[in-house]
Amino acid sequence: MDFSFSEDQRELRATVRSFLDRHATSTVVREAALEGDGFAREPWQRLIGEMELTGLAIDPERGGTGASFVEVGIALEELGRTLLPVPYLGTVVAAGALTGAVDSDAAKPLLERIAVGAAAAVALDAANGAPELSGDGESATLDGSVAHVADGPHADLLILRARAGNEPVLAAVDLDAGGVAVEPLPTLDQTRRQATVQLAGAPAVRLGGGAAAARARDLLAAALAVESVGAAQRCLDTTVEYLGERVQFGRPIGSFQALKHRCADLAAALEAARSTAYYAAWAVDGAPEELPELAPLARAVCGESLWRVAAESIQLHGGIGFTWEHDAHLYFKRAKASELLAGGFRAQRRLAAERAGILAAP
Amino acid sequence: MDLRLSPADEEFRAEVRDWLGEHLRGEFAELEGAGGSGREHEGLEERMAWERELGAGGWIGLGLPSEHGGRGASLIQQVIFAEEYARAGAPGRVNHVGEHLLAPTVAAFGSDEQRRRFLPGILRGEELWCQGYSEPGAGSDLAAVRTRARLDGGQWRIDGQKVWTSLATQADWCFAIARTEPGSERHRGLSYLLVPMRQAGIEVRPIVQITGTSEFSEVFFEDAVTDAENVVGEPGEGWKVAMGTLGFERGVATLGDQIGFERELRRVAEAARESGAIERPEIADRLADAWVELRAMRFQALRTLGSDDPRAASVAKLLWAPWHQRLGELAVDVLGAEATLATTAPYELSDAQALFLFTRSDTIYAGSNEIQRNIVAERMLGLPKG
Repeated sequence: MDFSFSEDQRELRATVRSFLDRHATSTVVREAALEGDGFAREPWQRLIGEMELTGLAIDPERGGTGASFVEVGIALEELGRTLLPVPYLGTVVAAGALTGAVDSDAAKPLLERIAVGAAAAVALDAANGAPELSGDGESATLDGSVAHVADGPHADLLILRARAGNEPVLAAVDLDAGGVAVEPLPTLDQTRRQATVQLAGAPAVRLGGGAAAARARDLLAAALAVESVGAAQRCLDTTVEYLGERVQFGRPIGSFQALKHRCADLAAALEAARSTAYYAAWAVDGAPEELPELAPLARAVCGESLWRVAAESIQLHGGIGFTWEHDAHLYFKRAKASELLAGGFRAQRRLAAERAGILAAP
Repeated sequence: MDLRLSPADEEFRAEVRDWLGEHLRGEFAELEGAGGSGREHEGLEERMAWERELGAGGWIGLGLPSEHGGRGASLIQQVIFAEEYARAGAPGRVNHVGEHLLAPTVAAFGSDEQRRRFLPGILRGEELWCQGYSEPGAGSDLAAVRTRARLDGGQWRIDGQKVWTSLATQADWCFAIARTEPGSERHRGLSYLLVPMRQAGIEVRPIVQITGTSEFSEVFFEDAVTDAENVVGEPGEGWKVAMGTLGFERGVATLGDQIGFERELRRVAEAARESGAIERPEIADRLADAWVELRAMRFQALRTLGSDDPRAASVAKLLWAPWHQRLGELAVDVLGAEATLATTAPYELSDAQALFLFTRSDTIYAGSNEIQRNIVAERMLGLPKG
């Protein structure tokens, strides 16, 4: 039993952080998210090129570096701190889902494309809807509409939950293919844009059945958990720093217990969330049998921790926290968008409790 | 990062499980679950016999090095023991204070003579200890201790009062901090004394709690005595020793407690199914919350296991104490009006009621949660002192 990161893993974190400190500054994030189209292209090219981050957990045979989801989690957590608008989360979840479906010949070339720099989005939650898959093998096609595709405007591939008749399936579609229309949407959280993807006889690949779709969603949950922890930690750090600097009544306001105690509660909840996220990220490869219960649990615990920290961050910053100029609103909006796309955290908590036998499955 | 148990640890788990299966029989099997929250007073005689059984099996003081009579078990093995113990429904431990607070203190700060004198009694499950820290004027502010002791010939003579002393009515010994340098202030001039409880100079008055039962007592010292050598560390250096006691690894106990919490939660869920309360979305949500948060606490305890960082202990307490309190509230809420009646006159309470009432103390004792928040805010987050 060892909960600590290895030397290599600590080094990976330090490397990613130092890269992001230089290339994912608040200025870069704001320019892409608030003034641009929600895609920080230059840092993204470096992340997949010199940093080789998207190929982290891809098998070396398919062109990746063959690390585990723990390493992916480290990159996600660091990116979460910055909210850099890049399609990393969807890409690594897609890579994980494709790795799980690698028995299907169709998955291999897709994985290889990701390993050399293709970006992927995923649509695995109920909010995304489920288009119809018909035909099989090379003649499989998708019809219908996929809503709320996070990073959809910037992705090359989409891994999605679809249905074949009444059966859930996991499928992939090339977003440049004929019969596919990607409609970018204005979003509340500008750091993570969305698209509606219209599919009309779009050529598709069937990757697996309901179990594969469920596992892919669990990967998404684990990925969101670590990302949220990174975002929450940055948000809390910024808040604590402000409380130490802001002086009222002749003393730093961080010396008032009313504010201190709120920060302590946030920190305690965040520590528990961090432990949960790390455990879930480890379980992806280390204890896959535990993932169905852990994934929704981690998504809820970590997402809620981010929500609490982000909401308190605005209050504890006072007026400046309410301005467009300050970054607090970026974290606040990311927190709520993540919750809404999950279908609410209550549902995730219930799901975990059902899978643990505390509540009966409906 | 590898969160699986090693084969050796799995073997150890099997050994613990087998031993408990073989020994938790007959009269001991009847003690299942005795001594839980709010029920510390139940079946003490029988539980002491069980402690001696544990001691004979070598299961007390697992983590102490073998030269001090322990097994030198790793932290994870201690966790495994605590988990299996709770899972087996074995009775609540009686001598937590002796085993987990005093024994490691004597091992770390005591003299060889003190180790020889005091460790075997604890490891055999024979000598019970209580802790004399809090006083009426020294709760959260422990350094305000006023109990005095002075050397008189070969003995310390002690005057003062301690309060909130667990198991004082049963304990054979008390470790107490007392002011031994007249005129000293705050954390200077205190000594860590080991005092026999059964003597004319000590009077114990049980405190009747909101449960109607008594686990805690007031302890009055009036010219109480102990031999001059019964001071741990140097006289006047007691604060350092006392803080050492507080700093000992608590992760093991936390992880063991969590298995007990899970049993309690599953019982509440069962009661909610029986009463039909589980059909109410609000109740189902609260049960789900309790489960999810319990799991998060477990991962947190595993990640910080082995850290002697007092901040980790503070975070743990900020998580579990309010959690346990909410579980107590849920336990009576799922029963509804039924929970307004005592089980027997005059004031015999159900497990749910005892849990509901006793857990109010969780956020107060062992450093109130407000003190824990100060520690986290100042020492972990670096916020300025007030």
